[in-house]
Amino acid sequence: MNFFIQIIVSGLTFGAMYALAAVGLALVWGAFNMLNMAHGIIMTLGAYFVLVWAELFGLPLWFAGPFAFLAGGIVGAIIYFISAHWMLTQKNFEVTIIIATFGLGMALEAGLMKLLRELFQAAPYAQPLSLGADSFLVGDVPVSYQRLIIWAVAVALIVLVALFLTRTTMGRAIRATAQNRDAARLMGVKVKRVYVIVLALASGLAGVAGIMLSSFKDVVPLMGQTPMLKAFIVIVLAGLGNMTGALYAALLIGMVEAAVKVLVADKWGFLAMLVVVVIAIIWRPAGLFGKHQIARQ
Amino acid sequence: MKTRDYILFAILLAVAAAFPFMGVPRYIIASALLLFCYATVVSQWNLVFGVAGIFSLAQLAIFAFGAYTSALMGRYLDWSLWPTFPVAGAAGVVFSIFIGLACLRMRGIYVALLTLAISQTMFVLIQTDSDCSALNKVINPATCVSFTGGAQGLGDFGTFGWREVLGGRNWMMGDYYTMLGLLIVALVFTAAMTQSRIGLAFKALRDNEELATSRGVSVFKYQLIVFAASAFLTSMAGAFYAAHFGSVGSNLVGFALLLFLISMLVVGGIGRLWGPLLGAGLLMVADEFFKEFSDLRNIGLGVVVLLFMIFLPEGVAGAIESVCKRLQRIPLVQRIEQQLAERLRRRSAAPD
Repeated sequence: MNFFIQIIVSGLTFGAMYALAAVGLALVWGAFNMLNMAHGIIMTLGAYFVLVWAELFGLPLWFAGPFAFLAGGIVGAIIYFISAHWMLTQKNFEVTIIIATFGLGMALEAGLMKLLRELFQAAPYAQPLSLGADSFLVGDVPVSYQRLIIWAVAVALIVLVALFLTRTTMGRAIRATAQNRDAARLMGVKVKRVYVIVLALASGLAGVAGIMLSSFKDVVPLMGQTPMLKAFIVIVLAGLGNMTGALYAALLIGMVEAAVKVLVADKWGFLAMLVVVVIAIIWRPAGLFGKHQIARQ
Repeated sequence: MKTRDYILFAILLAVAAAFPFMGVPRYIIASALLLFCYATVVSQWNLVFGVAGIFSLAQLAIFAFGAYTSALMGRYLDWSLWPTFPVAGAAGVVFSIFIGLACLRMRGIYVALLTLAISQTMFVLIQTDSDCSALNKVINPATCVSFTGGAQGLGDFGTFGWREVLGGRNWMMGDYYTMLGLLIVALVFTAAMTQSRIGLAFKALRDNEELATSRGVSVFKYQLIVFAASAFLTSMAGAFYAAHFGSVGSNLVGFALLLFLISMLVVGGIGRLWGPLLGAGLLMVADEFFKEFSDLRNIGLGVVVLLFMIFLPEGVAGAIESVCKRLQRIPLVQRIEQQLAERLRRRSAAPD
């Protein structure tokens, strides 16, 4: 019974973090078929943002979260203007943007490493925005308050994003663009503005996801890589561009990872996810929640 | 392929063969042979990505798979490395066919994401492999390492063995010509493959899958063929890499090397005949020049990849091609070309 609770608790936590990262990726893919390979470095930047905010400037910690979201958003917008903006007309944009943002992400990462070597001495830092190991018991399993916060923040952010998409004019413009870019443009939607906002929103979510990730493991320069790939696995499992699907898939993948971690060993988690995805895709090529046939090249 | 491609190939071959005797320092020879190794991998990758149009990022995983196969056999079975090379190649083919099967029903971006995840899985499994392996206890009980060597990497499995044959001063020459041989095989193989009926099928599937399948070209068959065909030499290159350095590590599947190879592919020109060689050459030369700024290396590479994707997605080879085409539109150049062709025809028509 105990290990069952353990799996649920840690699966929900993983799921919440992957959901924040994956919903953003799905949103951007839905809007303009872009996969941002610099998503991982934005998570890392989010985690370091808090560190710089608190340790270097000594600003109050509780404001750090929203500002990390904002900072992530700004980085996302910058990424749009130095990469995607110039490539929208290329004939295989989907492929070239992956390579371009991969290069950009690696450059940012190397730049960050260089900068950090001058700012901080040792690489791993504890995330200041963390409640530490204080916990309460469910059955015999300790559940830290940190997890509660992560769940609350993740649910709140996803509800906010859902409200933004369904209740505001901009949200409607985003959904219209995702459904049919040309029709949206004909109806007067400024699609390029939609692209910037969507990428900024996704990057803001990634920044917050980065803080959450680093509150369990320390803040290190390469921390964003593996979670980004897991988020990719999530959106492949869900079917690219499917946001609600991404939410469920994130929880599923989180549970799989937690189950493998609890029952076998941590290091097989990634392999287990991969196997799940491959089987799921062979069964349903357009993803678990995909309605259409395979996306055309 | 035209006559000028054959001539260019012959010239390059002569230069590469004579290169070690031109009095260049040893470290240049060492980077040249590394260039050959990477160019081999990139040329095979170009076959998958450029010619067949499958955006696979698993090429490095196959490369590392070959390197580790060779290294593990050398270490635990006590084989000399030479007989492990074909085994490594074959193992790479099997591995690659599995990858091909896993992404058989996927298209485009899905393949990229899945193959990237496969590489990362390999990276994670090697990195986290830290339990002392029973096999290593036999070899060296004092410093027991894990089966794959884990994050520290694995050594002590032998080399090409040129040191014993050629002596301590000239062994690098042996490695150099071995690697050059591999590259020549790879270039001839890719060129022949691209020209063949199979290559035509790859291109047909890349350019218009619906039409190609309706004409009887099987996706299943050709996707597996391209994954298998490109894997053998990639995996061999990995094994050669291991044999040259005498050590392997998880960095073989790391993002940094992926970035380096992707920039070779992008700078050279994806899908172009001369792309891989051109890209590998340019990048290695640039790397040599900017050695002092090695901490800025990844920043530079990343920015180069970004700029090429924005402004020159066809790569240098593509740019040269379009410049040539534009030149051919100039009347004077056209006239000279016609006269040359005329003269050639007359000479070949004339009786001996």
